[in-house]
Amino acid sequence: MDYVMGIDAGSTYTKGVLMNEDREIVALDVTLTGANINNAAETIRRKLLEKSGIKETDVKLVVGTGYGRYVIRFGNIQVTEISCHARGAHYLFPNTRTVLDIGGQDMKVIKVNERGDVVDFVMNDKCAAGTGRFVENIIKSFGLNFKDANDLALKSRRGIALSSTCTVFAQTEAMEHLAIGDAIEDIMYGVFKSVITRAIGLITRVGLTPELTFTGGLSLNPIAVKILETMLKTKVNHSDMTMFAGAIGAALYGVEKLETEKYIG
Amino acid sequence: MMAGSTPMLPDFPKELDKGKAIQAQYIRRHFSEELQKAPELKAKGYKYAYLFVMGNPIELLRPFGVFIGVYPEITSLNISYKGEAIPVLDAAEGLVGFPTDVCGYVKMGVASTYMANKIKVTVPVIGHMPEPDLMVLHYTGCQVYIHWWELYQYMFNTPVLVYDIPHLRHLEDTAKPHKEDIEYVAEQLKDSVPFLEKISGVPFDESKFKETVKITAETWDYWRQVIEMEKLVPAPYDAYFEAIYYMSMITIYRGTKDALDYYKYLLDELKARYKFINEHPEYAERFRLIFEGVPPYHNYKSFWNLFKRWGARMVYATYPKVPGMELFRFDPSRPWESEAEYMILPYCNINYKDRAEILAKYVDEYKADGVVIHSIKSCKSFSSNHGDFKEYLSKELDVPVLLIESDHVDPRYYSEAQIKNRIDAYFEALSLRAKR
Repeated sequence: MDYVMGIDAGSTYTKGVLMNEDREIVALDVTLTGANINNAAETIRRKLLEKSGIKETDVKLVVGTGYGRYVIRFGNIQVTEISCHARGAHYLFPNTRTVLDIGGQDMKVIKVNERGDVVDFVMNDKCAAGTGRFVENIIKSFGLNFKDANDLALKSRRGIALSSTCTVFAQTEAMEHLAIGDAIEDIMYGVFKSVITRAIGLITRVGLTPELTFTGGLSLNPIAVKILETMLKTKVNHSDMTMFAGAIGAALYGVEKLETEKYIG
Repeated sequence: MMAGSTPMLPDFPKELDKGKAIQAQYIRRHFSEELQKAPELKAKGYKYAYLFVMGNPIELLRPFGVFIGVYPEITSLNISYKGEAIPVLDAAEGLVGFPTDVCGYVKMGVASTYMANKIKVTVPVIGHMPEPDLMVLHYTGCQVYIHWWELYQYMFNTPVLVYDIPHLRHLEDTAKPHKEDIEYVAEQLKDSVPFLEKISGVPFDESKFKETVKITAETWDYWRQVIEMEKLVPAPYDAYFEAIYYMSMITIYRGTKDALDYYKYLLDELKARYKFINEHPEYAERFRLIFEGVPPYHNYKSFWNLFKRWGARMVYATYPKVPGMELFRFDPSRPWESEAEYMILPYCNINYKDRAEILAKYVDEYKADGVVIHSIKSCKSFSSNHGDFKEYLSKELDVPVLLIESDHVDPRYYSEAQIKNRIDAYFEALSLRAKR
């Protein structure tokens, strides 16, 4: 059987998926991207082969996506993460018609059709507001990790609104709230809410067609899902696989290409 | 289809690409002979008239024989195109005191003139910016532009000639000025003649004005034919990235024989190109697009390459129509009214509803696969309705639209990785759409 590998080299994490020609996921893994994107991708490739026991020669194509896609030296083809997240979200939840992806350095909302093709998309402007990095910076300055921040925010009784859209200024603003005695639970809630509020602005621009699937690293945060569902008054698809949506989409493009090549002969 | 899976659109052979080189010679002439030599030309009695690109009444100034047009927008974009924007923006923000969010054209235009005349430092890529003898405020659709000329007035005590141009409201016919508006502007043009005679020291000769309008009418007709050639499949040139070079003649040298001869030549060159493309299909476009908005001049060629690598060619663009829409024809038999109509019709003076209709009409007429909108933070007049255009075209007409944002002259607002990502995703979606 032939296999393809999808590697999503994101700004924070590099995710990889090994898929067989029947579109079944055989293995998946994730590692920190760090300063050397190609090394991170190489690590993922090795881990996927080890986990699955598949021979390297059986992997016919490697499809790169994410900001680092052109840096992966062993990548055969490159596809943007916009197309890949659309395809990956549709694979995980076939009724998906709208995708919200919040990764380390960008946020995107994608409208997809019944095949998982991109119909329309919008992204945040080039500042970090509304991205995973925005949340990460603030919670780090409080000496917290994502799990701590989630646990605290879920206990919030009255969320605090952060008005700054600049990541650095928002960090200062959060500290000021702490200084005047606001509860850290409420501040953490405000941090997540700030990002989700921006996401809803983008969703409105594209138009929300159900079902909505939430992908990217931030989708692993229960508080982010909860705020999104509360504000939109709708159920949101998410799972522990949604952070791999880009890599899954890349692998699906690979399978499609293999099929085309076989068909053409 | 993925980026790089098909070859980049090749450049045309040099003998079929002289149009850009010829206009470059004229641009050099404008900066090095007409502006750089300001002290000696002023001593000979020439007067520098600052004008906007949009809808200027140069036909009325040329008959006096002493006015040299200066276009600070073109100065600003050239500085940015040559990669020198940052020091000039620094001067605008540091020396002149502009906040960062003010229009880049205004900041750089003021800074380059201020530097040349007040602190005696010229910007090398454009040379000396002459002190204005006359400011013609003929485009009042942008409030910031009004204040731009006001600033020069404070700096140099220069007289400002103001024409009040009515906004082109949405009427029954798309982009058609109201009869009363035309009369209103034509009367202002006539009323301004004694003032121009006083500034120039030359009596007005109406026959020369009519003759100039006649030359422009003929030039305009060739320019219109150039634009309409893009209805051909394959398209003989890029109606955005190449037309921006071509438009400089209709902008700076309108009303001269040079401009007329240029467009006559260009039309022939493009006809030859069309024949060539049909014999060499590798030069034919794979995607036909319409472009709305001002380009990022600071990254002009690399931005263009982001489209070329997908085999895309723009077949219609609104920006090269900023000096005037091709729907309009100059009429030498009624020169005052014709000039007035031209002044009302710049693209940015047209209401949003008509602009959306113009885009929709041209998607159809130019057989386009989609629309690319580049929104810039500097220009609210151009960009503030871009979100609605996108929504109208994509949701109501099912036209694939890409909306990207940066700035036209300020490279600090441009992030190539982000822009490239959006462009690639757009073409991936267009490719799938074409396949299915």
